[in-house]
Amino acid sequence: MNVTAVLAWRNLWRHKRRTWLTVGAMIFCNILLVFLISLQLGSYQMMIDNTLSAFSGHIQIQHSAYNEEQKMYQNVPAVAQLANTVRAALGNEANVAARGVAFALASSEERSFGIQLAGVQPKFESQVSTFPGLINHGRYLADSHAPEIVIGAILAQNLKVAVGDELTFIGSGLDGSFAAGVATVVGIVETGFAEVDRAVAEVPLAWFQEVFAMGESGHSVVIRLPALDSVEPAVARLQKVLADDPILAGAGLSVLDWNVLEPGLKQAIKSDMVSAWFMYAVLILLVAFSVLNTQLMSVLERTREFGVMLALGTRPATLAKLVGLETFVMSCLGMGLGVLLGGLLSFYLSYSGFYYPGMEEMAQKFNLPDRMYPQVSLLSLLWGPAIVFLGAMLAAIYPATRLFGLRPVAAMRAV
Amino acid sequence: MSAIICKELCKTFHQGEQVITGLDHVSIEIKKGSFTCLSGPSGSGKTTLLNAMGGLDTPDSGEIWVGDTRLDTLARGALADMRLHNIGFVFQAYNLIPVLSARENVEFVMQVQGVAKGERRRRSDEVLAEVGLQGMEDRLPSQLSGGQQQRVAVARAIASKPKLVLADEPTANLDSKSAAELMALFESLNEQHGITFVIATHDVRVMGYARRLISMRDGLIISDEAQQSHSMVV
Amino acid sequence: MNASWLVVATLAWRNLWRNYRRTLIILATITLGVWSMIFMSALMRGMVDEIVRNGLETLPGEVQVHAPAYRRDPSVVNSMAMPDGDFLQALGESPVVAWAARVRVPAVISSERDSRGVVLLGVDPSAESALGSAPDNLVEGRFLLGVDDKGVVIGASLAKRLETSLGKRIVLMSQNPDNDVADRGARIVGIYKARLPGTEDIYVYAGRAATQKMLAMGEQISEVAVTADDYRAVQSWYPNILEAAGDELEVLPWTALDTFLSSMLAVQDGFALVFMVVVFLALSFGLVNTLVMAVFERVREIGLMLALGMKPALIIGQVLVESLYLLGLGLAAGNIIAYVSIRALENGIDISSVAQGMEMMSMSPVLYPALRFSDMLMSTAVVIVLGLAASLLPAWKASRLDPVKALTKT
Repeated sequence: MNVTAVLAWRNLWRHKRRTWLTVGAMIFCNILLVFLISLQLGSYQMMIDNTLSAFSGHIQIQHSAYNEEQKMYQNVPAVAQLANTVRAALGNEANVAARGVAFALASSEERSFGIQLAGVQPKFESQVSTFPGLINHGRYLADSHAPEIVIGAILAQNLKVAVGDELTFIGSGLDGSFAAGVATVVGIVETGFAEVDRAVAEVPLAWFQEVFAMGESGHSVVIRLPALDSVEPAVARLQKVLADDPILAGAGLSVLDWNVLEPGLKQAIKSDMVSAWFMYAVLILLVAFSVLNTQLMSVLERTREFGVMLALGTRPATLAKLVGLETFVMSCLGMGLGVLLGGLLSFYLSYSGFYYPGMEEMAQKFNLPDRMYPQVSLLSLLWGPAIVFLGAMLAAIYPATRLFGLRPVAAMRAV
Repeated sequence: MSAIICKELCKTFHQGEQVITGLDHVSIEIKKGSFTCLSGPSGSGKTTLLNAMGGLDTPDSGEIWVGDTRLDTLARGALADMRLHNIGFVFQAYNLIPVLSARENVEFVMQVQGVAKGERRRRSDEVLAEVGLQGMEDRLPSQLSGGQQQRVAVARAIASKPKLVLADEPTANLDSKSAAELMALFESLNEQHGITFVIATHDVRVMGYARRLISMRDGLIISDEAQQSHSMVV
Repeated sequence: MNASWLVVATLAWRNLWRNYRRTLIILATITLGVWSMIFMSALMRGMVDEIVRNGLETLPGEVQVHAPAYRRDPSVVNSMAMPDGDFLQALGESPVVAWAARVRVPAVISSERDSRGVVLLGVDPSAESALGSAPDNLVEGRFLLGVDDKGVVIGASLAKRLETSLGKRIVLMSQNPDNDVADRGARIVGIYKARLPGTEDIYVYAGRAATQKMLAMGEQISEVAVTADDYRAVQSWYPNILEAAGDELEVLPWTALDTFLSSMLAVQDGFALVFMVVVFLALSFGLVNTLVMAVFERVREIGLMLALGMKPALIIGQVLVESLYLLGLGLAAGNIIAYVSIRALENGIDISSVAQGMEMMSMSPVLYPALRFSDMLMSTAVVIVLGLAASLLPAWKASRLDPVKALTKT
């Protein structure tokens, strides 16, 4: 260790209490940041996963205008075949299913409701959506042409139907013709999320195509991927597949990723991020002020000492380096202990979960469970503390620059 | 009548592994209206004895009486009250409160005592005039010379009309002229107001003014003699 | 005692400015902390106000009265009679400012191009306007003229989906109490835009009498919505309505009708306090540090004061008063800056770049910070109480100094 480092270290412990208070501010802030950022990233991950795995998937292939307007004629020709092509193109990792969607007036014996009816491939649908797994009465659709339907619990309640009852559908077919069909309720989905339980209505795709005169066409190919970071390459791959196939290239199809499918999701995350960082910025600034104060004090009270050092031939830059080094040591202590303690806290809570009273309703709105589980990662551990570190180092600049104005004789005479 | 009675005072200090004897069974009686000097080299125990008399420090054993009050058994708060109302202190130089002006330093003790504003003002004017600081009432300590600062300290010590003033090395940082002036001031206060003075010092210029000169060494009183006056001092 | 506290106050004030750089830095820290406490609370209040107000606008009203089975099964069969007798009288009493009797049933709307499921509202336009739930932004045409108006008013987004426009005809389909399909053709007389595009797709307005006739439900209605214009005060008058409406009807305040909204309010109040305490803790390190330094530098002086007979309590007082000055000045500056900055943003902060994310939270794309006196008060209380608590330790340490040692310290 060179002499500056030794000096810096000893100087810090001349005012033990002050040093620990300053380091304490950093530790406090870092623990908080590590915990909150872990919690944030954890809940974003869960929000994305839960929302996308519910129904929309990570990627969909649709008619270019369908996402905006949702018109029946904006369809995907030979949708099941396209789903096979996609499956072949993306390999085993990806789960792919074809869907058709139509609006219909659903009537039971007692009630009528306008609903969105989805025609799905039962065999594949359960791989892209969590709804089939959430049946709590009856069963999911069989892989057949059978006139069967699965509906949400609130819809079932509103229509006053139970498993085994029949529902009549009236709507219009792809060609504008009158479309009508009768299907038996075979299962009821209860997710606990009101919006889902009010909306789900799924029938086999083949039967759907028959009733609504869709022929072989549908409205989307839904792709669910194992992780978010495989979305981008998959989109690129699919765009190439579409462009290379002469028939598909002319069908006016586009590949939409989850940002387009669920635009609210990324923005909700972004807006939450912005408001959270407002709070973090305040905390970090407060810590920086604390460091500024401490370092300015320690520079001012050592004026005489620095005067002696200057008189002995030390250059101001060396003194500035000393002050910088002291700040660096404090920042390292603050960061090390903060990350350690914050990491331990978050790590513990990532298993035991974290609960804030009154949070359930809000959590539901964003497809989150009642308990929050922070997600500890290198990013969540270091993101906040790194900025605190930077802020502390920046705060030392002003005290350090004061050293360049010192004149040895005057400084030695200072009280 | 006695102003102070000390009986068998003992006090030791620990400095690292060394045990230092501050006071070694010291008994002494100070008469009212007397002018006493405690002399001796550093570490002789004179400051320790003075602090004990002023209730700043408690002895390990022995008794101290100031007037009718026994100090060594008093609690912190009661000691503070005792100092506030009955004893005036003058320390080495630079013992003024730097953010207060000369007048405010003088009024400080009275203010803490709860003396009314008009009375405070009258007293501070009076004592500042008495120590020869007219026209400098509003100066801050940093704007006064060492001798002037010390006279403000004297003014502060006598402002609340104590019967006893204790001074610890009052001339330590003063030049000869200021020191002589300060001692003359002490002497006149002693003569005119009958205030008892006990001064700890190793300054021979000061010892000359004493009517009673007590010499100490290693926590013991080695001589205690009455003297005439300061006439022998040049 | 008064005089000695005065001297303490003077001393503390002058001591504050002996090291003006340090004082200014700690003041800046406290100011920043206080500003962020109030500003953040105002943003959150604005956000929650917005969510609640939007929610209440579509609910609508702060209290609703239904037939008991209606909320589970919002069908035409679960209807109620128009208010009369005591109930009607209660609706006319202060603080109720408006109420509306509405038909509200699920329906299907079809143009020649497409069909959608909607909620058909049979309303009295004047009552609806008084309630504040009539669309306030009609982009084309007009709103309904009366309960007998045969036209319908639909949302702009729905019109686009149906590929229809003002003046065109649509068909409304629902069911009557006998379970038969009830339908009628109607002309679109108005197109509205809502703050939340989602509501444009759902609500179709028609005259109440015209709707009752279509659904063959006589004079029956689905709900009565009542407002007193202050959603926070609902608990004070809700019992009056509850009593007057009688046992046959379900009367609920908005807090029960929309638990999401009410829990938002509760969580937010709690969170504001948590945030304030956290910010305070972050700045308390600096505050304590400053006081520790201030005491450390003045050990000799404090020793002198103790030697002169100043009571330890007054020394504690002196440090606390010094801390109080810092806190008071910081609070004043923080409150003023917060007030000015919030007033400057009163016309709203444009957050349309995340509009759809905001819609997920039932918010419109402009955020209006809401300055509340209670938040300023709460931040002041937090800062003063915790600030004095944090100052106690350095103050107590100062009072315990040994005057002899302190005096000889160099």
